[in-house]
Amino acid sequence: MWLPLLGLILGISLGLLTDIEIPSVYENYLSIAVLAALDTLFGGVRAQLQHVYDDKVFVTGFFFNIALAAGLAFLGVHLGVDLYLAAIFAFGVRLFQNIAVIRRIILTKWSERKGTIG
Amino acid sequence: MRQGVYVRFTIILLIVGFMIAVQYNTVQKPESRDTRDIWEIRQELSAEKQLHSELLSDIREVNETITKYENLQSESPAQALNDTLETLREKAGLTEVTSPGLELTIEPSVEGIVLGQTVSTISPDLLVRLLNEINRFNGHHISIDGKRIIQSSPIRDINGQTTVNSLVVQTPPFSILIGTDTLEDAEKLYNHLKSSMIADDFFIDNLSLRIGEPENMVTVPAFDQELENNYLKNTSKGD
Repeated sequence: MWLPLLGLILGISLGLLTDIEIPSVYENYLSIAVLAALDTLFGGVRAQLQHVYDDKVFVTGFFFNIALAAGLAFLGVHLGVDLYLAAIFAFGVRLFQNIAVIRRIILTKWSERKGTIG
Repeated sequence: MRQGVYVRFTIILLIVGFMIAVQYNTVQKPESRDTRDIWEIRQELSAEKQLHSELLSDIREVNETITKYENLQSESPAQALNDTLETLREKAGLTEVTSPGLELTIEPSVEGIVLGQTVSTISPDLLVRLLNEINRFNGHHISIDGKRIIQSSPIRDINGQTTVNSLVVQTPPFSILIGTDTLEDAEKLYNHLKSSMIADDFFIDNLSLRIGEPENMVTVPAFDQELENNYLKNTSKGD
């Protein structure tokens, strides 16, 4: 249970300690990649809770979504259309949906457990 | 099965955390705002221009040396090398220099004498401050109480006595000789020292700074000690 959290802390401290900065031109791409990563992550958590989790879907989804989001943003910059907004919108909506589903599942589990105890 | 899931989540979270941290670093980068006003920028511009002209004159000097080498290559390369060596020795302060300049005399202040205060030696800090003032106005060749200042000259307190080049500076009065490139520079330096606050700093220490008129001929003695050179080494041929 605590292993993923440890990974997160390790990743953040690694990033902060190495003091890496990317050029501000690529800032947009990174932010959208972060969003895509978060979306995939919560998707994975939801799938796990719903017992439909699949390794391949999760891992490929993670990298593919990041690449697609960054690619879309890149294309948008070159076409003069703010395509990254589409990605932000799509990922944002999915993020909220996933978190809502996770919340419901946890709530249900919690009340079930409370019911069995009580 | 569950263990594998955790490991995958951990790796993904590691990447996510790293990305977030990098993004955070990038966004949080404090913007350095340009708060200089037009006069500060003008001053910087003039400083840069001065540097530019100095660099240009350096380039010209080096170019002259190159031409000299080329001209003398067939005749006597040794002569050209010797000339360069002599120039370098002069720059390093290893030769006696006679040039326009001025003489400063540091004496106990009259007030101090009248009040019967003991004459103390000059403090290294004050001496360094004076040297900085002189350096700012192209006083290239300086000797303090007969001790020539070179690039590596230490000015410090050893057992309560102020020393230059590890030799004790006598208690005032003593003189400081300054050689400049031209008489004009000497006048500039004279005016600058006259108008600067440095004399006040001397007065605090019960000393007075007498600034002599610019002279056409001032002889600054050579640096007469061994030059220690601990860090520079000959490179092997061809490097």
